[in-house]
Amino acid sequence: MEIRMAAEKRFGKFALAADFTIVGKQIGIFGESGSGKSTLVGLLAGLHHPDRREIFLDGECLFSSTKRINVPTEQRRIAMVFQHPNLFPHLSVKSNLLYGFKRCVENNRSITIESLVGVLKLENLLQRGVNNLSGGEKQRVSLGRAILANPRLLLMDEPLSALDDTLKFQIIPYLKSVSEQFRIPYLFISHSLVEMRLMTDQVLVVANGSIVDQTTPDQLARARMEQSRVGYINLLRLESPRRVDGLFAYRWGDRELLISAGNEEPEALFELSSRDIILFKRHPEAISARNLLPCIVVSTFPAGNRIGVEVACGDQRVVAEVTEQAVKELEIREGVDLYLAVKASAFRRLD
Amino acid sequence: MGKMVWKLFLALLWLFLLAAPGFAGEVNLSIAASLKEVIDELSDNFARQSVDIKFLKNYGASGTLAKQIENGAPADIFISANIEWMEYLQSRKLMHSASIGIFTYNTLVFVGLTDKKVSGLQDLPKLEKIGIGSPKSVPAGEYAMEALRKAGVEKQLEQKLVMAKDVRECLMYAERGEVDGAFVYKTDAMQAKQAKILFTVPEDLYPRVTYPMGLTLTGARNKDAEAFYRYLQSGYAKAVLDKYGFAQK
Amino acid sequence: MVKMISLGPNDIDAIFLSGKVAAVAVAGSLPVGFAVAYLMTYLKFRGKLLMEVLITLPLTLPPVVIGYFLLLLLGKKGWLGPLLESAGIRLIFTWKAAVIASAVVGFPLLVRSIRIGMESIDPQLIQASRTLGAPWYDTLFTIILPLSIRGILAGSSLMFARSLGEFGATIIVAGNIPGVTQTIPLAIYEYASSPTSETMALSLCIVSVSMALGILFLHEVLGKKLSQRR
Repeated sequence: MEIRMAAEKRFGKFALAADFTIVGKQIGIFGESGSGKSTLVGLLAGLHHPDRREIFLDGECLFSSTKRINVPTEQRRIAMVFQHPNLFPHLSVKSNLLYGFKRCVENNRSITIESLVGVLKLENLLQRGVNNLSGGEKQRVSLGRAILANPRLLLMDEPLSALDDTLKFQIIPYLKSVSEQFRIPYLFISHSLVEMRLMTDQVLVVANGSIVDQTTPDQLARARMEQSRVGYINLLRLESPRRVDGLFAYRWGDRELLISAGNEEPEALFELSSRDIILFKRHPEAISARNLLPCIVVSTFPAGNRIGVEVACGDQRVVAEVTEQAVKELEIREGVDLYLAVKASAFRRLD
Repeated sequence: MGKMVWKLFLALLWLFLLAAPGFAGEVNLSIAASLKEVIDELSDNFARQSVDIKFLKNYGASGTLAKQIENGAPADIFISANIEWMEYLQSRKLMHSASIGIFTYNTLVFVGLTDKKVSGLQDLPKLEKIGIGSPKSVPAGEYAMEALRKAGVEKQLEQKLVMAKDVRECLMYAERGEVDGAFVYKTDAMQAKQAKILFTVPEDLYPRVTYPMGLTLTGARNKDAEAFYRYLQSGYAKAVLDKYGFAQK
Repeated sequence: MVKMISLGPNDIDAIFLSGKVAAVAVAGSLPVGFAVAYLMTYLKFRGKLLMEVLITLPLTLPPVVIGYFLLLLLGKKGWLGPLLESAGIRLIFTWKAAVIASAVVGFPLLVRSIRIGMESIDPQLIQASRTLGAPWYDTLFTIILPLSIRGILAGSSLMFARSLGEFGATIIVAGNIPGVTQTIPLAIYEYASSPTSETMALSLCIVSVSMALGILFLHEVLGKKLSQRR
């Protein structure tokens, strides 16, 4: 799907000037609050109108100030999921879900409620009123409602911000699988880099009312490594835990990691800060950290006053953060063999 | 700030007290509405001839006036358009009985702007809306109702009667054309600008329209009221009544 | 207490007439009031401020002034007089005039209440409805109307109660015609002008107060029921 936007909009003191073209299926919009992300998305959905210029979606002109075209929101077939579920309080869950579906032209109704309910696990909720649902349930219904409208693009404006962490990372797989299964591209807004990296493969960075960068989530994370409080977050999907000495041993690609905060579930997502990875030139004699693995340097990149070192352990990669001094001392270059050490307690479970 | 407010309050209070009153030279008149022009002229004349007299005039339906006086409204002289309301106040010992006399008489007519042919009470059912003073408080309305009853058309006119609060309002309805016609006194019809007299109500159908007049108990103690009361009985007053069409017998 | 109430057939007429006039005034004003409330809440347009003032005006004017203006407008010699007459429509001194008087006087109350109801609807719900494919009229009926029911109800009961008590405009433009336009306040006024009808006046007053209490009570109960449903 291709979005082409060259538009300007003023809201009192705030002004947005966006000029970009982007192609993709899982696109992110990243920025701080007040940077203009919601405005941008609002323009796309037709909730606000640009003061000037134009917006194109897959070649179709949605708005043009010169040609005086303005496709009304209800005809754009762009569904939105907001930060707050916005479920219609006077309708049941089922009626909410079917709201967009009923207003869809016959031909476009390829996604039906039966197929959706299974994926989002909504079977038990259908006949209930919306007011007594939990936050996560509401957000799932909201998502289901947007999907059932059979849109050609799904806009998600910070849909996870109001949820607690465990819930967040439980919903993310839903979001992705729904999009892939029903073939609906989406635009995902967030101020969380981790969410961005899990959800999207391209990111537009917005600040002070304009697009300042168009990059991948990973690159973005690397660029921000130094300013971030927690360095670069390595996201690791691990599986098949075994109990070993009070710790959990997970399979990591063709290697193994010992983790203290594990559990019995077959799969888990962990985060590991780049600052918690220690690099060694030679195999140390004995260390307290329970994880010690040989690795090879893949690349290095500058990050302010620090250096990011990407290493490969077998078929897996992680990024470590070291000082320039360390790079000189250990002679860290592409292709060099090193050892990495990580404490079992340094891994934090996300889901 | 507080001092300012207090000063303002005192100033206002002083003003009120000044305006208050009961200065000598005030005469309160409660007069049937149909006598407005007559009493206006007579009181203006009298005031010009005397020293420092102020007339406070209250025109309205006689029944309404009687009720106001009963409830304590200030009145020195009361002129009613029927005997009933004067007797009402007398029975409540509010009138100076010795002073009571008859001021004048009148006749009932039917006025209107309608094109329809209306020559008597029997023609009234042809009309859509008829103005009449509320019989509960307006003597003209009572007289008219009595006539309608005696003529046998009362039932047919149910839902067509628009109740007015006094005879002048009745006239106004007719003048505006909002009613096809209205029952007013002959003297009111003379004040009309557009409405014409369609017919005179046969006198045998209603009691004689009589205007009793009298001093109230408070009026009897008011020198100026007494003086004006005598003036109302003078030859000059009779001439003014005549001018406005009031009958003498 | 029961002995105090003596109602003649005239009074029963007045009570029914009051009810009828109030009901018709409210029913007739609802669609217009709803539409106006919608315009004022959701649309921006030139002259909006003027419209706001005009709609609120009847609340601040003395009812007799309103009655007089209606007379100037609708009377035989009024601005619309000739037009109405040629269409064979007679309004002054009919029960229709009583309805118009009540409607004009109560309209601001209705619109205000509905507006408050509408303004309490989360605008994001309306945005959501749009993104799901509903044009403005669809959103109006499926989202805005159901969610503003409380405001509509409050406005209706307020307007109904106000109509029951409407006097100044009514007496000028509809006149005091027993059986046709003599509503409860007009009947009480007539009784009150005459020294001999004290008990009658009092009886009707009691009926009037009871009716007002009844409506307010009903309004509270309905309101509670509605909020329970949510």
